[in-house]
Amino acid sequence: MSGLGGLDRAGAPTSPGAWDERSEEWLAAQPHTHAHGDGASAVADGAEESFLAAKEPTAARSRPAPARRTGGDPVKALMHRHRDLCERAVDPLEIAAGLEAHGVTDRTAARFLHRDVFSLAEEMYARVPRDAEKPAGAPPLTTPRARADWLLLTLLPGAVCAAAVTALHLTHGRSRLIAAAVGALAVALALRAALARGPLAATDRTNPTATRTSWLIAYALLGDGLLRAAATGGPDTLPTGTADGSWPFTTAPVLALALSCAPAAWCAHLLAVRARRKLSASRGLQEFATSVKPLLLGIFALHLGALTALLTLTTTALDEPAAYPQTLTLGALLLLARLLTTHGFTHAPALVLTATASAEATALATLFAARLPGCAWLATPVQALIDTWGPAAIPTIACGAGALTLLLHATRTLTRASAHATQDQPW
Amino acid sequence: MDNRPSRHRVVRIRSSRCEPPGERRLPLWEIGGVLVRIGLIAEGGYPYVSGDARLWCDRLVRGLGQHDFDIYALSRSESQEAEGWVPLPPQVSRVRTAPLWMAEDDGVVHGRRARRRFAESYGELVAVLCAGGAMDGPGVPEDASATEADRFGNALYGLAELARDEGGLVGALRSEAAVRALERACRAPGAQSAAREARVPDLLAVAAYLERALRPLSLDWYEDDGLGSVDLCHAASGGTAALPGLLAHHFCDVPLLLTEYGVRLRTHYLAATEAPPAVRALLAAFHGRLAAETYARATLITPGNSHARRWQERCGADREKLRTVYPGMDAARFAEVGEAPECADPDTLVWVGRVEPAKDLVSLLHAFAEVRKEEPKARLRVVGTPAGPSGPEGVAYLGHCKALAAQLFPDEAEGPHTVGDNPVSFEEIGGPEIPTLADAYASGAVTVLSSVVEGFPIGLVEAMLCARVTVSTDVGAVVEVIGGTGLVVPPRNPRALAEACVALLRDPERRERLGAAARARALELFTVEQNVAAFHGIYLEIVSRTPVRRVVLDEAGEPLPFAVPAEAHLPGRWTERTARLVARGGPDRPTAAPVRATALPAPEGAR
Repeated sequence: MSGLGGLDRAGAPTSPGAWDERSEEWLAAQPHTHAHGDGASAVADGAEESFLAAKEPTAARSRPAPARRTGGDPVKALMHRHRDLCERAVDPLEIAAGLEAHGVTDRTAARFLHRDVFSLAEEMYARVPRDAEKPAGAPPLTTPRARADWLLLTLLPGAVCAAAVTALHLTHGRSRLIAAAVGALAVALALRAALARGPLAATDRTNPTATRTSWLIAYALLGDGLLRAAATGGPDTLPTGTADGSWPFTTAPVLALALSCAPAAWCAHLLAVRARRKLSASRGLQEFATSVKPLLLGIFALHLGALTALLTLTTTALDEPAAYPQTLTLGALLLLARLLTTHGFTHAPALVLTATASAEATALATLFAARLPGCAWLATPVQALIDTWGPAAIPTIACGAGALTLLLHATRTLTRASAHATQDQPW
Repeated sequence: MDNRPSRHRVVRIRSSRCEPPGERRLPLWEIGGVLVRIGLIAEGGYPYVSGDARLWCDRLVRGLGQHDFDIYALSRSESQEAEGWVPLPPQVSRVRTAPLWMAEDDGVVHGRRARRRFAESYGELVAVLCAGGAMDGPGVPEDASATEADRFGNALYGLAELARDEGGLVGALRSEAAVRALERACRAPGAQSAAREARVPDLLAVAAYLERALRPLSLDWYEDDGLGSVDLCHAASGGTAALPGLLAHHFCDVPLLLTEYGVRLRTHYLAATEAPPAVRALLAAFHGRLAAETYARATLITPGNSHARRWQERCGADREKLRTVYPGMDAARFAEVGEAPECADPDTLVWVGRVEPAKDLVSLLHAFAEVRKEEPKARLRVVGTPAGPSGPEGVAYLGHCKALAAQLFPDEAEGPHTVGDNPVSFEEIGGPEIPTLADAYASGAVTVLSSVVEGFPIGLVEAMLCARVTVSTDVGAVVEVIGGTGLVVPPRNPRALAEACVALLRDPERRERLGAAARARALELFTVEQNVAAFHGIYLEIVSRTPVRRVVLDEAGEPLPFAVPAEAHLPGRWTERTARLVARGGPDRPTAAPVRATALPAPEGAR
């Protein structure tokens, strides 16, 4: 540096005048602190002097004389200007970062009689009034909104199923078989579409329980008839697609279940919305769990009520024998399994659905296996159940046990706060 | 791309491993040189095309062809991964990437003992966070703060060991047990008041954030064929990127070099202003603790400027470990302008940068009005960089400035018969008059910077490389960059700015002198070469202080006895002796050196 001779150096203004208009205000508030220099015009002169003549490091000389903090309180003014920052800050470093983002440097801090921005920020942090009453500031969490797309989609399985049932009633012979096959396929596709979005959508795309669910629904359609026929030595013919005959179709429960997609989605939506509200309102995890449990049970009951009403409606309309117990338990099982899957607990529903489906399959298989020579004892338990309560006992017990297990599981898992956490926080 | 499956039982976050087309080269040996294998860890940066610190990492890797680089990259988003990589030079022998934006639960369900280990470590971690920030100021007794830092480190390494032994950390961090531990810590006596206020959504938010931040713990990088095989880890930024380096240090004793051009903790403070206070308090504590732990474990820390250095010192970095390494700029672009004799219009002031409110162009225009009073012939060119104004705010600000310029300065013409023009012109780089950045600086005699907020002023360095004298406001790292080669005025002081500009406009000789000094200073301090040379020196310094403790294998894969002499385990001196040996022995390869003399083609095995 010295080799370059009279090299100019960056210099701070040499005069004790104001650096900018704000410091001018503070300085003006205490006129006796600087004897010479008259506000902003001193800057001009002083600047000229500093820029043209600052040939030697003049740090000591060029610093403004430390202002005694008697009259004004510059830090207070600074705090007032950055009061948002000060009130918001959780520690001094946050104030320091905010001040620096507003252009405060160590040289600025020196005017507040601080060594650096950090110690200035510490003073500001210490001086922020912290009242006991805090603004109950947490904004409520965003709750999911009901949207037209999934609302319409949840009506789709019901509509398709109703159309299929109508087609079954209007057709005969081979065309009825075709109608049944096409109807089943259409209902499956509609169900898949309805569960792809909205509150019943699973977090991951894979759907491991689809086969088991289809089996359970197929059993609701055909199982009771087959069981009854098997118990009496049949079935002699394939199902004809009617409610009468040796292997009857029970379409009313299936239609009711398909229609119940819409209330199920509504219930899930209600659960999500209410749970988010309770989440933002509760202070502790235990408090949240106790407040969500009645909500969960209420929603469960609501869905069962809706399903009962739909079942009554379809039974009356189709003029079929009522099948309340097995349908209600199956509906409960499917709702709980879906709710758990939606909230990320996939293991238990898969397990319980498998168990239920295999229980039903075993019941059917034992009846047929009993026809083998020497195996008649195999049918005894199932036969006893059928004799006592009728063929509906098998699916009712299987689905009921499954639903009860899942309900117990859900009251433990779905009441956890972490089950209702979302990933949408930006920070 | 070679996606070899992990050879470990536990499948963790998927990490792909790729060798460039040239396959692994055998290390070239240079006479008198040492070959260092560097694990460069970058988060959302190199080698991705859209990475943050891509440019300097690229220059560093290309500049140090004599060393071997293993790149460990954490990608930030799916789009970043889709955009691909920059072309890699041959000294990059391996790239391993891991996505941080998605972590699939690996399906491992912890047994009872693992659950207890997790609960202990995680509970300890959050207890430290709830107890308060790392930087409680001077009021906190030294040893209490050290104990807390120790607890944080132990908890972190406990979690890392659990992830290494058992896997399943992602699921555990998301579990209810984690949230419960967090709640317990927040309600515990002695928790800071903001944490005590935490509500359930806050707890969930913090748990989710911690899960994301701790994802590097689940990587399968910390093995003897991963980060364990490098001679030193170079973390290109603090925070998440430093976490793999910390773990490599913990598991494999690999020294860690940390480079921070912007302090991660400060970025966090500025970014997370919307979150509730409890969340901000806990996350700030986490970042503070993590920074303190990183600074404590790092062998050397290289801040990019003295501002970052001050923050690091404040966060607990040992002053002896700090080496400021200024970012390097490509000087060649400006060589022509910088070395050309002064030919610019002597009455023109130039402002170059991205138009945004923090640049305070309004103040500049007012200052220019003052300049015009003294020097009626003066002109001002405001040159926006091709990136253009940032967002709608920048566009609105540019419009505001143009309107103000039109108000302050009426169009004027040289004579009664010529078409007039405004003395302030708003231009963009890439236009016919200013094709390149260097031309923008060349078009004026004085470069002005009027920012109220500034980090490291790259524009100023460019002006210095162009041998232009500068007038700038005293913000950010400006004084540090300028040294004595330009004029500095207080921010928001148009009159002082005007005075300085007029002084320079009137004095061509001084302008030239200062410009030459500025170029000399910039060439000395802010070139790519100095940056690369500084890192080269730092690498060698670190490896010379860290003797290898690995077993060297022969070609058959058997351990080679006495491959590393006992003296290699003694720190100090040894490098000097090697150098002398080489000098005496001519081009012969030294047999072994503490700085892993990888001249041996033998593969390395586990320790």
